[in-house]
Amino acid sequence: MRTVEDAVGAVLSGAISAITQRSIFNRLGGLARTPVGQLGPVERQTVLKELESSLRLFARASSAELLAACERALSENSGPGAGTGAGTSAAGPASKAIHKVFAVDQEKDIATARLEAWSEAVRIGLSKFTAVKVATAVSELARNIVFYAGKGTVELRATEDERGPSLQIVATDIGPGIEPRKLEEIWAGTYKSQRGMGKGLLAVKKLVTDFHLDTGPGKGTTVTCVFRGDR
Amino acid sequence: MKRSTAVSMGSDGRTRASDQSLAIIQIRNCLLVSIQTELHDRLALDLQEALMERVRNADARGVILDVSAVEVIDSYITRILNDIGKSVRFMGAECYIVGIRPAVAMTLIEMGVELDSVHTALNLDLALERLELLQ
Repeated sequence: MRTVEDAVGAVLSGAISAITQRSIFNRLGGLARTPVGQLGPVERQTVLKELESSLRLFARASSAELLAACERALSENSGPGAGTGAGTSAAGPASKAIHKVFAVDQEKDIATARLEAWSEAVRIGLSKFTAVKVATAVSELARNIVFYAGKGTVELRATEDERGPSLQIVATDIGPGIEPRKLEEIWAGTYKSQRGMGKGLLAVKKLVTDFHLDTGPGKGTTVTCVFRGDR
Repeated sequence: MKRSTAVSMGSDGRTRASDQSLAIIQIRNCLLVSIQTELHDRLALDLQEALMERVRNADARGVILDVSAVEVIDSYITRILNDIGKSVRFMGAECYIVGIRPAVAMTLIEMGVELDSVHTALNLDLALERLELLQ
């Protein structure tokens, strides 16, 4: 049986350290070990209330999203068979294939996208170091969207093949695009931006396994990159 | 959720933001800031301004920024840290970044961005020790 601890733990892993999770579960007492299926409406509320105050203390960003995810996890009927996932196709055994899209149009979205990317990377089994790289790359790309295009999206797509898990990041905007001359400067490392270092794209390119950039004046910018876990 | 109060700023937000979420603590003649929150443009500028003011008023010898709670440092945050380091140096004090996490350090190296306008130390203790030696 899937207990509250299992369900919530799956959501929190990556976002919150194991030790912190333990102290959260300790606060829940016996409720943590109750199977999700046997949770009454009142008990569910109690759990969520506790989680809300804990998450506010421990999570650095997007506590609201985490809480919402916990709520979803707790309203599922027990057992992994009852997988929900709006929009995701019937996942079958390879339930690691996920696809998430985040709208990015203000600075706080950068933190959200970053945290999501990090927890996703940890969840699919990339190393802690790689997860930090993933989060950093997403941070750079999301920042570029907010700074230069105003709004856009960041997509995370996790896949797994015989070579191991990998996470694809696609950052898309329909902003002004990058002029060829500026692009040359960017790749040469000589570009200086007003607001940042002007090294974001170059930095991402150095971090990832695969990198593809599609841009041009008037057609917006799409960056596609892949992090591959090594086995 | 209440969380937004730390980041979003009201009409008089400029000083409040730096007072509230980024307290500057004085230890002898060093100023210490523990960065626990998301640094963005305004917050960074506020911090820079507040630090320079405090360096002057307190005759501070050094400024120590503790980033041990920061899980991701990208090129933009690096720029902010370098800028603070430069401005502190212009005032005649030294800036130390302490507590950079191993994964963050690795990532910065791979990205090829430099933290060259600040000193680094493993922890607060060591930074204080080095600043003490400067006297």
